[in-house]
Amino acid sequence: MDALNIQFAPATGTEDEWNEAYARLADYFRSYRLHNRIRRTQLILETLQRAAKAHQAEPAKKPTAHAIEQARLLLHTWLGKIYADMHMTEAQIEASGRLGFHLAGGPDRWPSFFLDTKNLPADMTEAMRLAVRTSGPRLNVSKMTPRDIDLGLTHTAEDTIGRFEKHPWIRYIALAAFVALVISYVFRLLK
Amino acid sequence: MSLTAPPAPLSASSQGMPPKRIARTRRVTFFVLTWLGTLLGTWLSFVYLSANGWRWAEILLLLCFIPLYYQLNTGFWTALIGVWLQNRPDNDALDLWGTLTADDQAADITATTAIIIPVYNEDVTRVWEGLRATYESLAKTQQLDQFDFFVLSDSDDTNKWIEEQSAWIELCRQLNAFGRIFYRKRRKPINRKSGNVSDFCRRWGKRYRYMIVFDADSLMSGALMVGLVRLMEKNAGIGIIQTFPKQICSETLLGRLMQFAQSLYGPAFMAGLNYWQNGEANFWGHNAILRLDPFIKECALPPLPATVPFGGHILSHDFVEAALMRKAGYAVRLLPTNRGSYEEGPPTMIDMLKRDRRWCQGNMQHFWLLFAKGWHPMSRINFAHGVLSYVSSPLWFAFLVLSTYLAALPGKGILDPDLAKRVGIAEQLLLGLTAMFIFLPKVVIVMDEMLTGRLFKPAKLRFMTLIGSLADTILFTLMAPVMMWFHSRFVMKIILGQGVSWIAQRRKVGGVDWREIILTFGSVTLVGAVWAVIAWYIGFQFFVWIAPILISLILAIPVAILLSGRSTGLRFGLFLTPEELEPPTVLSTLEDNLADVNSRHELQPELERSYGLVQVCLDPYVNGLHVSLLRRRRSTGDSREYLDDLANRFLKQGPTALKKTEINAIMNDTDIVTSLHYRLWSAAETDLAAFWRMAMKQYNLSATNPFTHLLAKKAVA
Repeated sequence: MDALNIQFAPATGTEDEWNEAYARLADYFRSYRLHNRIRRTQLILETLQRAAKAHQAEPAKKPTAHAIEQARLLLHTWLGKIYADMHMTEAQIEASGRLGFHLAGGPDRWPSFFLDTKNLPADMTEAMRLAVRTSGPRLNVSKMTPRDIDLGLTHTAEDTIGRFEKHPWIRYIALAAFVALVISYVFRLLK
Repeated sequence: MSLTAPPAPLSASSQGMPPKRIARTRRVTFFVLTWLGTLLGTWLSFVYLSANGWRWAEILLLLCFIPLYYQLNTGFWTALIGVWLQNRPDNDALDLWGTLTADDQAADITATTAIIIPVYNEDVTRVWEGLRATYESLAKTQQLDQFDFFVLSDSDDTNKWIEEQSAWIELCRQLNAFGRIFYRKRRKPINRKSGNVSDFCRRWGKRYRYMIVFDADSLMSGALMVGLVRLMEKNAGIGIIQTFPKQICSETLLGRLMQFAQSLYGPAFMAGLNYWQNGEANFWGHNAILRLDPFIKECALPPLPATVPFGGHILSHDFVEAALMRKAGYAVRLLPTNRGSYEEGPPTMIDMLKRDRRWCQGNMQHFWLLFAKGWHPMSRINFAHGVLSYVSSPLWFAFLVLSTYLAALPGKGILDPDLAKRVGIAEQLLLGLTAMFIFLPKVVIVMDEMLTGRLFKPAKLRFMTLIGSLADTILFTLMAPVMMWFHSRFVMKIILGQGVSWIAQRRKVGGVDWREIILTFGSVTLVGAVWAVIAWYIGFQFFVWIAPILISLILAIPVAILLSGRSTGLRFGLFLTPEELEPPTVLSTLEDNLADVNSRHELQPELERSYGLVQVCLDPYVNGLHVSLLRRRRSTGDSREYLDDLANRFLKQGPTALKKTEINAIMNDTDIVTSLHYRLWSAAETDLAAFWRMAMKQYNLSATNPFTHLLAKKAVA
């Protein structure tokens, strides 16, 4: 990133519009948890200068929109360099790359190198790449097929009969109970 | 860590399966005692009811009486046997811990275990702080390497979903646990919790030999989990070990009452239950370890025939999975643990009823399975007990209605002055016997505590336990008829075909909601009042007999308010539990971390409610995380147009302008989520909803770290 140049005189757009763009960019970079104010200011001015050029080419768009778009382009370029050979799509680089910076502890450890495409500390690059690689666990697919449960009452009867055959004493008790019932009924009739 | 499990036995080994001789002796003892008590009560009731001859009302009354008395006896003998076991000088022959030698206890674990936490719109902080406490406890055992954690989300509340992702990444960062704690979100929550678990088993089940299932509010100590794995390793014939989860963290009177009762009476009941269930215990769906290979092969649940509520997807899947595991030849064991396994309970009566409504439908579905082929007889008994636990309420209600009817009959009713002479002592005996079956277990357990100090050693605390027991008896007596009324309604609604929707369980309460209580319990009070007038007209003797029930019904509203309140008796030393007095490390870690989160700076309520959405749209890291975890899908021109339209409304009118499903749709699209982030930051203030203007102003002030809003701030490990 170039040395800080505080001269900023956009050819297009009103002062209010650029003030709003400045404030929005300040909030936007704060959302990256960059607590280094000097670095934040550097980034804001750098982005605003790019936005001013873009606004000249396309004045219908508000300076705020140009500013955020330029910030996004800076991020794209920066992350593209860090994740150059990792076979990721642009969308993946953008999403995972942002997260990678956070997981690598970037906002605290390398705030001065955020979006700096000319100076990429090796340890920062490695930490950010490592953070993106963390995933898993590897799928290990197995089949879990529901087995039919036979709910039929007929099968219960079958089960019961099977049990009767397996345990003859149950049969004898049932028989004895039946005989006792018949005898008591006859006894009641004769009373 | 070994990635593949060694081959589990195809036909289960007998290790861990109680010997048949012991199991048979225990069951015969238990069921003979239970049925003797039931028959005695039934006979006395028969004598009493037959004195005036048999009419349909008396026959129905007796038919209601028998299952109710059986249930009463089941509880009575379970508790008494439990107390006997607790006081027996010898160790129980079936004690699972006894199977481990000193060498087993000292050896390192080689088996891989997945700890899974299925969640559905739960309190994100509680889930992840619970996981942290469990993780740290496990780390202290030096056996962490063999355990992986999975939070399996089915949350359809987008806000919760994003918060879960944020909490996951932050906890992994703090604990340095990437590759050890995993988060998976299903887009379509097919078959609810059991489908969620099955999905895990299909994707990753083969990697692990065991699976420990948590509920969203579960908490387990590392020592216990390591112990469970060792028990499973030593006993290859066991398919499931269910621990006894003790209730913790209650803040309302009802919650503390429940956790006190569970702490005091629970261990005896668990010991008794273990005595007669043996190798055919139940699985309660959480705080249990499962052998994954047979679980995957044998325990996938088919849908039931017919439609909801009786048929369809099996709601109370745990009982059925236990039965299927047993059918496959593996033992299902209950481990009557005293420490190390915890859960939270519903804070108010209304929350308890909501939970019971779900359980009721699930248990009623088991009617289908009672007569299915191939179950172990004990599995059928378990199903029957589950069904009876809810059907007993309409039976009790019918019993009371029939009693009222018989009392109102002129001349030959149950108030007939000659009746007492004719039935002799039977009436008093029945009354005495019933009172004994209801109250004796509590009396015996409290006496046991007084003499042994099982919970507390200091005499003062034992005395307070006695007072607490008396108070809980009064409060549970006041609650029981109200629960009967609601459970009866639930059963009737299910029979009439009204299903239940899947809702997240509330485990914390903000304050007493008087309106909700009055609307819920107003009808109960009315029923009680009308019944009291009828009883008064029938006769004073009957009025006195039924008064305890009617007083409870009439007082339903004040009792519900009292129980939902935060006057919990703690300052008087009432309802204390050992976990409250001396919290185990895993619990104190959780409590400290929750206190830390609760003391954080809160945003405006409107933003706080939608914090996940605010973060995913504004925060570059959370946005990146969310997009990274989404599966990229191709969308057609029409759907793109539709999603763009939703996104426009989302920005211009705020999140409240969209339905839950619409927010879900845009948050599932990677392009839309990415573009929302930039569009929001690029938009002029006049193009944004007031919600977003406020969010942009406040967001950067809320937390120095985008992910720490939901978790305690801890240094990175």
